[in-house]
Amino acid sequence: MRQFKNLVEFSLLIIIVLSLTGCWDQKELDQKAYVIGIGLDPHEAEGKVKVTYIIANPEVGSQQSGGGTNEPPQETITLAADDFISSRNTANTVISKEISYDLLRVIIVSEKLAKESDFIRWIYSAAKDREIKRSTKLIVTKESAAKFISNNKPKLETRPHKYFEFMIDRGQQTGMIPNTDLNDFFRVTESDADLFLAIYATTEKEESDRSNMSDDDFLAGEIQVEGVTNDAQFIGSAVFKEGIMIGKITGEETRISSLLDDTWDIGDFKTTFKDPFDERFRISARIAKTRANKFEFKQQSGRPVIDIKVPLYIEVLSDPSMINYAKNKEKVNDLKKAMRTKIEDNITKYIKYTQEEFKGDTFHLSIPIRTEFGTLGEFRDFDWMKSYSNAEVNVSVDIRFGEFGRQTKFPKLEEVRD
Amino acid sequence: MIQSKGKLGIKEFISIIALTIGTKLSDDTPSIIYENAKNAGWIATILIGVMSFIPVIILIKVFSAHKDKNLHEVIIYLFGKILGNLISIIILVLGASALIVDSGVYVDIIGTMYFTKTPPSIIYLILMAVCAYGAKRGIEQIGAVSWLLLPYLKITLLVAVIVSINEGTLGFIFPIWGEGKLEIVKASAKNLSIFSDFLFIGLIAPLVVSFKDFKKGTIISLIFVTLEISLAMVTFVMLFDYTTAEMLSYPFHETIRYIQIGFLTNVETLFFPFWLVATFIRFSFYLYLSAILLGGILKIKEFEYLIPLVTTIVILIGLSPDSPSIVLYTMRQYILLLLSPAFIFLPPLMWLIAKIRGDFKNETVQESS
Repeated sequence: MRQFKNLVEFSLLIIIVLSLTGCWDQKELDQKAYVIGIGLDPHEAEGKVKVTYIIANPEVGSQQSGGGTNEPPQETITLAADDFISSRNTANTVISKEISYDLLRVIIVSEKLAKESDFIRWIYSAAKDREIKRSTKLIVTKESAAKFISNNKPKLETRPHKYFEFMIDRGQQTGMIPNTDLNDFFRVTESDADLFLAIYATTEKEESDRSNMSDDDFLAGEIQVEGVTNDAQFIGSAVFKEGIMIGKITGEETRISSLLDDTWDIGDFKTTFKDPFDERFRISARIAKTRANKFEFKQQSGRPVIDIKVPLYIEVLSDPSMINYAKNKEKVNDLKKAMRTKIEDNITKYIKYTQEEFKGDTFHLSIPIRTEFGTLGEFRDFDWMKSYSNAEVNVSVDIRFGEFGRQTKFPKLEEVRD
Repeated sequence: MIQSKGKLGIKEFISIIALTIGTKLSDDTPSIIYENAKNAGWIATILIGVMSFIPVIILIKVFSAHKDKNLHEVIIYLFGKILGNLISIIILVLGASALIVDSGVYVDIIGTMYFTKTPPSIIYLILMAVCAYGAKRGIEQIGAVSWLLLPYLKITLLVAVIVSINEGTLGFIFPIWGEGKLEIVKASAKNLSIFSDFLFIGLIAPLVVSFKDFKKGTIISLIFVTLEISLAMVTFVMLFDYTTAEMLSYPFHETIRYIQIGFLTNVETLFFPFWLVATFIRFSFYLYLSAILLGGILKIKEFEYLIPLVTTIVILIGLSPDSPSIVLYTMRQYILLLLSPAFIFLPPLMWLIAKIRGDFKNETVQESS
């Protein structure tokens, strides 16, 4: 009897353990085609979209195969479908393996589709699908997504998942592209108080005469790069209001947004300022925001007034007019003043621009303002999206200087030229 | 610690409650609370905890006069045979339907979030089979396993919470009162029954080593689960903001799918097994409770043989609804609504009758007799 009991318990255990492998959902790695990116384009027929898949080849770059495979690192296919959920099976007429969204990193949308009012219908499929994560990034491209994907040929980081990961991470650290994902898109759209920024990218180069502009006041495609490299440029943001794209902002404007936004964790970025002591040159500086902004909110005769204090940590990296800042306190103060007015100017100009052009803020200004309200009802009645466009926003920048480059002293120009 | 056969120490007792009630943060309980309280869901949770103190304290008081009886026996003693059995049957039906709906919700979570192709019936069968096996092993074993696994389960949960708070924005919990103070109170009153499990814990009251341990353990675990669920509610809002958090069916699972720890993406595979173990313990305990109550009503001494029967009933009823995530969500709200009055009014009623009968005065006399 005891033996029988043991046998029953043992076999029960075996059955339970075996069932843990999940007979239905068990899939081997090589039975799946991993989609890294989905491209979405408008289709001529109503109610349809063009779906493009970037499918990674898991063999490329893995240690086991020694990196030695002759197959290309990625495969792309474009097809017309009703949405990007059912398109998985349609794609199997060409792709031999089961399509999986488990490793999906980016959703690439063409500007044309993003500007359609129906865009929100397509993108909400991502919240329904069981495999798509909310941390997926949203990229808006100037050309069609299919074209962007076929033109995008990274030279060194050929594995698509790594390429997108590095490209976006680095861009976000330098503040050139916004630090947002699909979760933010849904969140901002649903709370309907701020504007959402998506990453803006293109492979189409544009001839422009903007060489007199500063380093980062560009949109994707406007930067003139020479050499043998990839055509894709990631800079600037697409602005979404209530789930529809309404415009775009440059890299510099994206950086300004990042400075004003406390939800946004930026690293440090390098930029240039006009040298206050010599009109011809520009000073390079490294800017970091080490502390959180301070917001003050009050209502004056029905008009909201917001004071924002932005603490900045700046390292001056170049000294083209050879001032020798380390020894010259007065000049340092002058420089600080010049920088402060310049930054404050730029920020104020940008805020004005968003108030007039977009009628909404791109930097989550609603969040610090929410603390001033007791209940959600009061906050909704206040209607931040509407109030923002006639709000008075005062920005003051508080600069703290760090180092002045590795070598703080320079020879005197007059002595060298003697 | 005194280790007597068939008895629970205070550690094991607390761990069982922490796992069975604490796990509620990972199902659709947060969504149900968010629906009314919005981003002040965490305040509502604390309020539920505070409000639950009253029935829990009264219940403990009642048990102090009947230290060797379980809930069913106390009810029979206080209300008489017919009325007592009737009340017990109502409690059993409510408890069993909560068990059925809850297990259905968990099967739905596993099915929609993780094993998308496996038929739900198979998931249900395996889940309940494992839990039935656990329940059959008896309460000491459930307690031992809970105590053994509690640190692992709570530490992984804490890691998930810390990472999410790091990624989230504190500003989302404002405006602090959500839809208003009245709405918070309403939401708490409506969902008071998320802690109604404390009523059922009375069924194992005599199994705890001493009455002092039962009293202390119940209060400690009530405070613990209140804070735990409240913290989780704050985390979800910080990550998703109230509008989105309310729309998510299972915020905890969306959270572990969203966060990434350092360079590790897809970390849900790390959290899922721990959560699954907590689920097993939770339903093992529920099955055990149902079996005790059923055994008490039917006067079956060896109630552990009832566990397979209860399990089969649960599986059969649990499998019947179409599109479970919608049906179960509404069903759950109804059951919570029904359980709340039972949880609030039964203990004071019991206390009142005990008072009238003079049980508290005769405490010492009863024990010696």
